[in-house]
Amino acid sequence: MHHAVVDRWSSGHSLLHARDGRVKVLVCLGFLAAVATTPRLTALYAAGYGLAALAAVMVARLPLGALLVRAAVVLPFSGTFALVSLLAGDSPRAVALLAKSYLSAVAVLILVGSTPLPTILRSLERLRAPRLVVLVVQFLYRYLFVLTEEVLRMKQARDCRRVRRAPMKEEWRLLGSMLGTLLLRSFERAERMYQAMLSRGYVGEFPVFAPRRFSWRDLAFLCGLVVIVAATFRWS
Amino acid sequence: MHIPDGFLSAPVWLSLDAAGLSLVGYLARQAQRESGEAWAPRLGVLGAFVFAAQMINFPVGVGTSGHLVGSALLALVLGPAAAAVVMTAILALQALIFQDGGVLALGANVVNMALAGVLAGYLPFRWWGAGRFRQFAIFLGGFFSVLAAALLAIAELRLSGVPIPAPVLWITLGLFTVTATLEGIITVAVVRGLDRLGLGLAPQPGARYARGLAVVGLACALLAVLGGLAASRHPDVLEKLLERLGLATSRGSQ
Repeated sequence: MHHAVVDRWSSGHSLLHARDGRVKVLVCLGFLAAVATTPRLTALYAAGYGLAALAAVMVARLPLGALLVRAAVVLPFSGTFALVSLLAGDSPRAVALLAKSYLSAVAVLILVGSTPLPTILRSLERLRAPRLVVLVVQFLYRYLFVLTEEVLRMKQARDCRRVRRAPMKEEWRLLGSMLGTLLLRSFERAERMYQAMLSRGYVGEFPVFAPRRFSWRDLAFLCGLVVIVAATFRWS
Repeated sequence: MHIPDGFLSAPVWLSLDAAGLSLVGYLARQAQRESGEAWAPRLGVLGAFVFAAQMINFPVGVGTSGHLVGSALLALVLGPAAAAVVMTAILALQALIFQDGGVLALGANVVNMALAGVLAGYLPFRWWGAGRFRQFAIFLGGFFSVLAAALLAIAELRLSGVPIPAPVLWITLGLFTVTATLEGIITVAVVRGLDRLGLGLAPQPGARYARGLAVVGLACALLAVLGGLAASRHPDVLEKLLERLGLATSRGSQ
């Protein structure tokens, strides 16, 4: 399915894939904060951020074109606001909105493209994110595709039985029933799932294959980036 | 309306991250203490339900269609605290995997949809849900959940200095009113579907939450009012406010 693309990317091997999840999360947050707080996004800054992102994509051997296309999902929203800013006579802001939102989306994609989601979530938990929220995200991601397929089956069943649109009132009743049934099935599935997981020894942790420890390479990676960023800000 | 990164000014996203994420953390710890981790799979599946339900479009007329947002429905089915946790999980996943909403802006989106949206979706039902006006209360919940989230998002954008001229503002508000009405109708439709299947809604939560709910509500109202002020007269009301408090650095470096 469509979203599995990111999972395929993140299961690759590269220098960036091998870094500790916490370091990558922190570096990504740092990059996002730098982009967000750049007061005036001049061409020089934009080029610098772009080159940094490009370097990360190269190191992680991610498909550049696909990544850039995927990041473009933010453009309709920011494009609308950029257009409004442009019409309001604030063209620097228009450019900044487009560039900043796009660069940020690229940065997040590099993070999730080089780090499997369970690793990111475990890193977030170690960085003190609330455990229940992290667990809920885990389950959500796992059952997203199952339920999406369930919905597609329900829609197909509906469309087979209904040649043309029913009167509006009937359509709404149908919608309520479909969603109600889906909710009921989701509840039942959750119960079955949880029992099945308990019976297979689930103790509240999703296993991460090949768990890693924070190594000197991670430290070097982090220090190197900090030095580069500090130098950039000093120099600019 | 998911706000992406790069739209909010630093004071806005920093304070909303701090407020929203710490509040959700508190709610999550409360919920975990009460029900343990056995809840996590059920909450996760309900989050996946909201994602999946958004794929079923419903007819609006004139060739357009809309879909469920879900914060009011979750609030009715799970109660406000758990619904806030599930909505936060949904928003986090959307920001990470689907680039729908920013990562730094997560706090803002959490405040808009997971806190204010859930609260606005829940309160009418809590007040009038038991009596004759049950269906109307559910409708109002769906309606206000979307409208409150949209108003807050607009207020935050205004506070960050994103220009939204009056005509654009009115068009946006008009569109959101339509979406909000549809959310109200669809929430009622789903609750009726649940009634037909013989499923009840969430049990009433204890009075412990009442004070917390009031605080969240007041804070959100304040934020919306600040944004409204920014929209009407002072484009950089926040900076002025900060300057007056002696917190701001020089103007122009947002």
